[in-house]
Amino acid sequence: MSVLPDVALERLDGPPVALSDLCGRGRVVLVFVHGDCPTSLLALRRLAAVGDSAVRLVCVAEEDVVGAARLARRAGVDFTTLAAPAPYEVSRSLGIETVPTAVLLGTDERVVGWDADAYERLLGVALPGEPRLKPGCGARSVEGEPVGGLDELEDMLERGWTDGLPVVPPTPERVDAMLGGRDPERSLGDVPPAHGEATLRRVASCAVLAGCRPEYFPVVVAAVEAALEPAFNAHGLAVTTQPAGVAIVVNGPARERLGLNGGSGALGPGNRANATIGRALRLVLTLTGGAAPGALDRATLGSPLKVGLCFAEREEASPWPPLHVERGFDAGMSTATVFAVDAPVSISDHRSRTPEELAATLGWAAAGTWSPFWWPMDDTSLYVVCPEHAALFAGAGWSKERLRDAIYAEVVRPAGELQHGETTPHVWASDAATPVHKWTEPEKIQLVVAGGEAGRFSAVFGPCDGMGTRPITKEISWST
Amino acid sequence: MEYVTPFDERVREPIAHAPRPEDLRGRTVALLDINKARGAEFLDRVEELLREEGAETVRVAKPWFSRPATGEQVAEIAGRAELVVEALAD
Repeated sequence: MSVLPDVALERLDGPPVALSDLCGRGRVVLVFVHGDCPTSLLALRRLAAVGDSAVRLVCVAEEDVVGAARLARRAGVDFTTLAAPAPYEVSRSLGIETVPTAVLLGTDERVVGWDADAYERLLGVALPGEPRLKPGCGARSVEGEPVGGLDELEDMLERGWTDGLPVVPPTPERVDAMLGGRDPERSLGDVPPAHGEATLRRVASCAVLAGCRPEYFPVVVAAVEAALEPAFNAHGLAVTTQPAGVAIVVNGPARERLGLNGGSGALGPGNRANATIGRALRLVLTLTGGAAPGALDRATLGSPLKVGLCFAEREEASPWPPLHVERGFDAGMSTATVFAVDAPVSISDHRSRTPEELAATLGWAAAGTWSPFWWPMDDTSLYVVCPEHAALFAGAGWSKERLRDAIYAEVVRPAGELQHGETTPHVWASDAATPVHKWTEPEKIQLVVAGGEAGRFSAVFGPCDGMGTRPITKEISWST
Repeated sequence: MEYVTPFDERVREPIAHAPRPEDLRGRTVALLDINKARGAEFLDRVEELLREEGAETVRVAKPWFSRPATGEQVAEIAGRAELVVEALAD
């Protein structure tokens, strides 16, 4: 039996611990592994699937804490994982030459490599599946450090610092450039659901990861500030089974200054500012806030909108006051407005010749959003009206308010037509002839203008109904 | 290579669960309705069963299912009850 070194090892789920602290607390099996060994990964994955056992498993990774976390994430390990990096005192003291090696603490009993039958005997559990046997790899305490290491971009993905797409590694130099002299410790608040604190340093890290240029950072900061307002309900949006995306609409001079697209393809790919600002907010929510899909983000399906969306309102093509003016800001200010919404529904209308006809098309396109018989909806729908559609309304002298009221008034059905399956308590409680609108009030219909010169395609983003979320606008501050 | 983490890596000490009581007689159980459809009906039945076991009950309903319980509600539950049953979703 070996003497354990008196070394405190960093652990992923609590304060540092020495192996001697684990002695005398029932049967403890240490599983020595490292991240370059496929057999280690196999063993951890199989052991992670083990349910209750009389034996406590502890993963001892010949890695620093970052490498240990990466390995645990890859393998889906939820038992205690310790980082036991160079100079590998623990591995050496126990004579570990191969990984994986399992050691029953306080005994000489061990399993070298992957041997499912031997693990079954050691743990007293069934470990079904193939392979039953797989040779291990040389331990780092014997073989030394790996040569080269991971490619930098692969490293980011393996750390989980991503939405699944490649990211820009947030080196200190890039993060400093993103901060542009701002106080890195300044806090924008806690990000639900895990309540990670959104310091500017972390927000800047997300902006770098997302691919933002430093001049975009003020927009990212404004969007994060907006999303963290309690009235936005970032908590509910983060954890809901709804698809629940966020759309950022930018108004004012920032659009031209940053080259944001509000024209052709505004809701699609191809513009760096649009693509990366929206993505940066999502990364703050999922990484700093801990709302990783499948973990605390419980979305049944999610949607492509969850990669992130930011676009500019095309104020110059709009006959109406821009969104930020409507919401009480000066026209010369730059703002970011966040909307919690579902993915957009495209609305084709090339033949309407009157504003009434076109308003009806726009309105009825939203009738099936959220759920076809769920009337009225109580959260915000966002219409993006294309310039040609906007011009038709402008030619008829329609204000934004008139269009909003016309859409609201148009989309109405008798309760009797809605009384089956998934509908609201209001519909069930109403007489069959009672008219029911699609929205609780016209103000739940928000309108902005964007899109290319040609084409008659508008869009509507359905609401995150039941979230009690409201659009939030924040001024974009250029000062540091 | 050194990177600036986007995560808040402060380690939080896990909060231990309160010990499970041997039985429910004389215990106060909070029944938290998150305010989703028919959660109250579910809790009505749970309440009946708990009372048959000799437990006292306290009913608390969140004002909005998609938001966390208010601080006052959490304090009320912590102050008045020893156990909680939550009706989560429809």
